[in-house]
Amino acid sequence: MNNFFEKIGELFSTPEYIDSLLHGFLLTLQISYFALLIGIVLGTVIALIDTAKPSKWLKIPKFICRLYVGIIRGTPMALQLFIMFFVIFAVKGFPSIITAIIAFGMNSAAYTAEVIRGGILSVDAGQTEAGLALGLSRFTIFMKIVAPQAIKNIIPALGNEIITVIKETAIVSMVGMYDLNMAAKDIGSGQNMASYIVPMFVAALFYLGTIYFITFIVKRIEKNLRRSDLRAEK
Amino acid sequence: MENKNTDLVIKNLRKTFGNNKVLNGINFELREGERVVILGPSGSGKSTFLRCINWMEEPTSGEIIFDGEIVTEKNIRRIRRNIGMVFQHFNLINNMTVMDNLLLAPLKLKLMKRDKAEKRAMDLLRHIGLANKADAYPASLSGGQKQRVAIVRAMMLSPEVLLFDEPTSALDPESIGDVLGLIRELADRGMTIMIVTHEMSFAKEIATRVVFIDKGCIIEEGTPKEFFEQPKTERVKEFLEKVL
Repeated sequence: MNNFFEKIGELFSTPEYIDSLLHGFLLTLQISYFALLIGIVLGTVIALIDTAKPSKWLKIPKFICRLYVGIIRGTPMALQLFIMFFVIFAVKGFPSIITAIIAFGMNSAAYTAEVIRGGILSVDAGQTEAGLALGLSRFTIFMKIVAPQAIKNIIPALGNEIITVIKETAIVSMVGMYDLNMAAKDIGSGQNMASYIVPMFVAALFYLGTIYFITFIVKRIEKNLRRSDLRAEK
Repeated sequence: MENKNTDLVIKNLRKTFGNNKVLNGINFELREGERVVILGPSGSGKSTFLRCINWMEEPTSGEIIFDGEIVTEKNIRRIRRNIGMVFQHFNLINNMTVMDNLLLAPLKLKLMKRDKAEKRAMDLLRHIGLANKADAYPASLSGGQKQRVAIVRAMMLSPEVLLFDEPTSALDPESIGDVLGLIRELADRGMTIMIVTHEMSFAKEIATRVVFIDKGCIIEEGTPKEFFEQPKTERVKEFLEKVL
């Protein structure tokens, strides 16, 4: 046990190790951030097409969306990452960070689309009917009535998706990228440290800290959104 | 001879949901100032009939003519401004205060100036004794309060016709009286009303005409006196025996 704490001390006092960890951590954050950005934008588009009132114009787009979500959710993330790296973007010199961002972004889009779709469908149909009966346009009804109510149901599940993506990016070490997970393995396998448990423990703390931070922010947003729900007076 | 003040003419209205034929050719006319109560067993299509009038359900075939204009997908939004609707489950907008519920349509459709709309909303709320709830959210109101707000919301645009789809079916007995009282008051002021309800005594009292629907067809119609005291068809006699 003493040895464990000694090693931790050693890890934090060796600039080289700290440097590796921070480098890895930064890559993890970069991939997660941009992947989630793509995921939320693309996921929103898919969810809107999917929940739009059926019409002949939307038949094919709706089919494509269902197919896309089905394929992404039906295959392993690791396989999708391999396909991106070794098939689609198997171009020499193509930056691997971009490939990873696209892979995770496209994956996240499918899950985010389901989260948003669920949120939209959870709003009682009577809310839309009330708007229609008053002569409002479908656009106004969506923006003023459905979306503000859907978002309350979307935020908690979206928080979950953010957490999932941050952790999932650890598999980029499988294609040789130097993320937080890889940094821990790299430090542990080095001659000097000669211990896996210590850097992996520290990497775990980095992940945990990040996810606690995200959870805290999401809870705050949730609380703000729910405020109008229950209170009688403004 | 067609009455000059006919608000609404419905010709051979049919509605199917998949293989389920809910309305099988309804012909109907509504004139200004009439109060039509629609009765019928559950599943007879009476709510669907009402909901087809303002295209909450798109008719499968047939014509709906409102103020001489055939209702289509293109003009339905404009026509809906003249047809108020009150739902069984109130359908107040949950994320808006009572006041914002009332202001939503007049302001969004640019039919009223804000100060004028606010004054009208406040007058209406005061009239139903809920002025103190203007800034409250629907979640904090009782069922009866919600339904009365929903009724005045429908009144904000001064519609020509008000449609009530089982307005008291989701209410406790005490609130029912309040809501029926408000509908009665609108009736007394000459509002043109169509109402689907199971409140027989209210139907008898308020209706100028009773329409009985079964299996998607109008089986019988007449004044409340005729309908309740001398029903013409066996089906209505049977129905009245059960409900009265």
